[in-house]
Amino acid sequence: MKLDVDADELAACVSCGLCLPHCPTYRVTGDESASPRGRIAAMRAIEADDRPLEGAFTEFMDLCVQCRGCETACPSSVPFGRLMEGSRHTLTESTRYQPWLTRAAYRSLRHHRLLLLGSSLLALAQRARLVPRRFGLPALPVRRTPLKASGDDVWLFTGCVMDAWLRPTHANTLRVIEATGAGVALPDDPGCCGALQAHAGLMHQARDLAERTMRAFPGEAPILVNSAGCGAQLKDYGHLLDTPEATAFGARVLDVHEWLAPRIATVPAPRGNHRRVALQDPCHLRHVQRAHLPVRTVLAPFVDVIELDDEGLCCGAGGAYSAQHPEMATAIRDRKVAAIARTGAKVVASANPGCALWLRDAGLDVRHPLDLVAEAMDGR
Amino acid sequence: MSSTEALVADLSRMLSPDRVRAEPLELALYGRDASVMEGQAAAVCFPLTTAEVQAAVKVARAHNRPIVPRGSGTGLAGGSVPVGERPPLVIVTTKMDRILKVDPERRVAWVEPGVLNLDLSHRIAHLGLHFAPDPSSQQSCSIGGNVANNSGGPHCLAYGVTSAHVLAVEVVLPDGEVTVLGSEDPDAEPTGYDLRGAFVGSEGTMGIATKIAVRLTPNPPAVITLLADYASVEDAAATVTEIIAAGIVPAALEMMDALITRAVEEYVHAGFPMDAAAVLLVEVDGLPEGTDAAANAVTRIALDNGAGNVRRAVDPAERALLWKGRKSAFGAIARIAPNYYLHDTVVPRTKLVEVLTKVYEIAARHDLTMMNVFHAGDGNLHPLIVFDRRDEGIMDRVWQAGTEIIEACVAAGGVLSGEHGIGLEKRDYMHLIFSPDDLDAQARLRAAFDPDEACNPMKVLPAGARCGDLQAVPAGAWI
Repeated sequence: MKLDVDADELAACVSCGLCLPHCPTYRVTGDESASPRGRIAAMRAIEADDRPLEGAFTEFMDLCVQCRGCETACPSSVPFGRLMEGSRHTLTESTRYQPWLTRAAYRSLRHHRLLLLGSSLLALAQRARLVPRRFGLPALPVRRTPLKASGDDVWLFTGCVMDAWLRPTHANTLRVIEATGAGVALPDDPGCCGALQAHAGLMHQARDLAERTMRAFPGEAPILVNSAGCGAQLKDYGHLLDTPEATAFGARVLDVHEWLAPRIATVPAPRGNHRRVALQDPCHLRHVQRAHLPVRTVLAPFVDVIELDDEGLCCGAGGAYSAQHPEMATAIRDRKVAAIARTGAKVVASANPGCALWLRDAGLDVRHPLDLVAEAMDGR
Repeated sequence: MSSTEALVADLSRMLSPDRVRAEPLELALYGRDASVMEGQAAAVCFPLTTAEVQAAVKVARAHNRPIVPRGSGTGLAGGSVPVGERPPLVIVTTKMDRILKVDPERRVAWVEPGVLNLDLSHRIAHLGLHFAPDPSSQQSCSIGGNVANNSGGPHCLAYGVTSAHVLAVEVVLPDGEVTVLGSEDPDAEPTGYDLRGAFVGSEGTMGIATKIAVRLTPNPPAVITLLADYASVEDAAATVTEIIAAGIVPAALEMMDALITRAVEEYVHAGFPMDAAAVLLVEVDGLPEGTDAAANAVTRIALDNGAGNVRRAVDPAERALLWKGRKSAFGAIARIAPNYYLHDTVVPRTKLVEVLTKVYEIAARHDLTMMNVFHAGDGNLHPLIVFDRRDEGIMDRVWQAGTEIIEACVAAGGVLSGEHGIGLEKRDYMHLIFSPDDLDAQARLRAAFDPDEACNPMKVLPAGARCGDLQAVPAGAWI
C-alpha cells in the first residue's frame, strides 16, 4: 500500500535512534512502535510488504502526539510531522480512521458563532454541575468581553477554541502589542487555522480552512499569533496548499513573541522583585516554529524565567490528543509536572492554550506569557 | 496452537499479556538495530524485574527458543538482531529503567539495564559526578547495551571504556539462574577469575545483565575544548600523533573529515568550518593550571602542523554544541544518502595517514561515497560507506569495499572493533585476526556460560569457531 508520503523523505531515516529519548510516547512505554524510528519502520513495512492498514499500523500512528520533538533531535532532519500527517491522511481516505462523528466535530470548528454559543451553553451546564469532571474541561466563561481593534499595523489571529475559552489572554495580548505603539487589526470572522484537522489526517478539511483563513487576513500586515499550535499551522500553509499566495501568507505569520522581542524594551517594565516563573516550551513553538527563545526575551524584563531541565519534552496535550488518549497523555504529563516541580516555581508560563489547559488540569497555575507581562505592567 | 502461540501464552502467564507481543508488524520493528542487518523474532517481551527476566529465559528455554537481549537498539553491528535456528525470543530491557541506588561517598550507583547512559549522568550532575563512558549515542543507548558491547566514546581516551566503569553485574545466566559477577566495592580484588571482566563485552552471549553497579566519576574542575581545522587530513593526523608523542593525554581527541563536518554543521550550526578537509576536536581537562598549559601546548602543536585556525570554546554552551555536532555524525548521514555501513577498526596511531589514504582509495575504486569520523586519539576509525540501498546492485559493492577496508586495517596491524562490538555483522571477519586456536578458546569460554548457544546465537564468533562445530550462516538474516 502506497502511503501519501514522499518516498525520499521516508527513506531519509537512518534508524540511528537519536530521536528515542525525545519522543514522549517512547519515554513512557519503551516500545519501538511508540517511537519515531519505529513508526517510520512501520510506514516502510506497509509500503514494502503490503501489510494491512487497519489494526496495529493504525494504532501505532494514532498513539503519536505529533509534538515533533523528534524533528529537532534528528541530525538528518527527517520531516517526521509530514510523514505522520501523510500516513494519517491515507488512513482517513482508506479506512474507518476518524469516524464520521469525529470528522463532524472537527468540521464544527469553522462555524465561529456556533462555537461561541456552544461554549457558553457548556459553561452554563458546568455551573449547573451537569458536566462530569472526568471530561477534563477547564471552567469556561459564559460571557466574553468583546475585543476592540486599534489600527492596522498588525493583525492578531484570534482563532476558534482560544477565542471562545481564553479571550482574556487575547485582551492582554492586544494591550502588550499596543504598549509598543502599534495598532492591531482584528478579523471579522476569525475562523479556525486547521491544525487539528491536519494532525488528524483530514487534509481536505485542513486545506479548506486554510483558504478561508487566508481570505480573513487581507493586505500585507504581519499576522501575529499567540497560540503556538495555530502559528505553526499558519506558517505551513505554503506547504499545505502549494501555491505562491499561501507561501506569501505563511511568510507574514509570526508568533507574537517573535514580533515583540525586538520591541519589548519600549514597554515600561516595573521595578522591584520579579516573581519566579517556570517556562514550559510548547512543542509547536520550540520544535516546529523554533521560536521559543523570543518568549524569554519578552518575559525577561517582567519575571524571573526558570528553565525546565527536560529539553523541551512534550507535556502530552497535543491538541485533541489529551482527550483521545487520556491515559497516555497523563503519563506524559506526569514527567512534565515533575520537571516543573523541580524548579520550585509556583507559576508556569506556556505560550500555547492547549498545553496551558492540560497542565492546569493537573492543578498547576499556568498562564500565557503575555498574561504575565500585562499583569506586571499593571504592577500586579 | 502453534509453537509461537504456546510460547506467547506461557510468557503472558509469567509476565503480563500486555508486555508480550507477537503481532507481525510490531515484530518487524524488532528485526533490526542501527546497523543494516535484519532478522526475525518469534516474539518480544518486556520484563520489569530480574524475576521476570529469569521467567522469560526459562520459558524460552522450555520452548527451545533462542534468546536475544535488546536495549535501545542503537547497536551498530547487529548485536541485537534476532537470528537463530528458530526465530528467537527478544527480551527488551527498556522498561527496566530505574536508578536503584546512588552512593556519592563511594561513587557507585546501581542501575537497571534500561537506564539511558545520559539520563544517569543528568540525574547525578548535582553531585558533581558523571558516568564516564560516553558513546555518541549516549542520549539514547542503555547502560545494559554499554555493558554488552563494552562501549567506548570520545572521552574513553583518558577515562577508559565501559569495563573500567562497571564494578559488578547481576546476571540472568542462559540457564535461568541468577548470579552476581564482581563486587560493588571499588577496591575489592576479584576472588578467583574476573568473570565480571569476561561478561562485560560478551554481547549478550553469556546471559542478560539485570542490575549493574557502575563507577561514578567526579567532574573535572577545568575543561577546555579546542576545534582545529586543516586543509589536509594528513596534517590533522600528524597533529594527533604529535600530541600523544608530546606526552599529553587529552580527555578526547576526535577527527572528522570534510563531508561529515559539513553534514553535522548543517544540523547543529556550531560554526564548524564548511571548507576544511578535516577538523580535530580536542578536549583537555584536570586542574585549571595544568589544563590551560595542555591547551596551549595542543594549540601550538596544531598550528605547527598546519592548522588554519584553533578555536577555544568560550563557555559550556559552546562546548556542548561542538560535542553535539560530533555525536550527531552517524545520524546526520541521511543528508547525503539514506543508508550507511560503518566499520570500527582500530589501527596504530602512526599508521593513521597510511590507512586513511587506503580507505578513501578503496571507496573510490568501488564508486562509493566514503566519510570518516573517528576517535583519533586511540586510532579508532569509523569509516562510513554511505549509500542508498534502493540503488540496484549497490549492496555487493558496499560489502566488498567493507571487507577490503577491514583487510587494509588488519594488514596495518589493526583490530576489528574498538567499541561497537562484533555482533552479527563482523563475526565472519574474526578469522582475520584470530587463529583457529584463539577462536576455539573463546568459544570454550562462551560455552562455559552457554553450552547450548541459546543466548544471542550466531553472534561474535564465526560459524565453526569451536572445533567440530558445523553451524551454518545465519538463517533468515538479510541485508
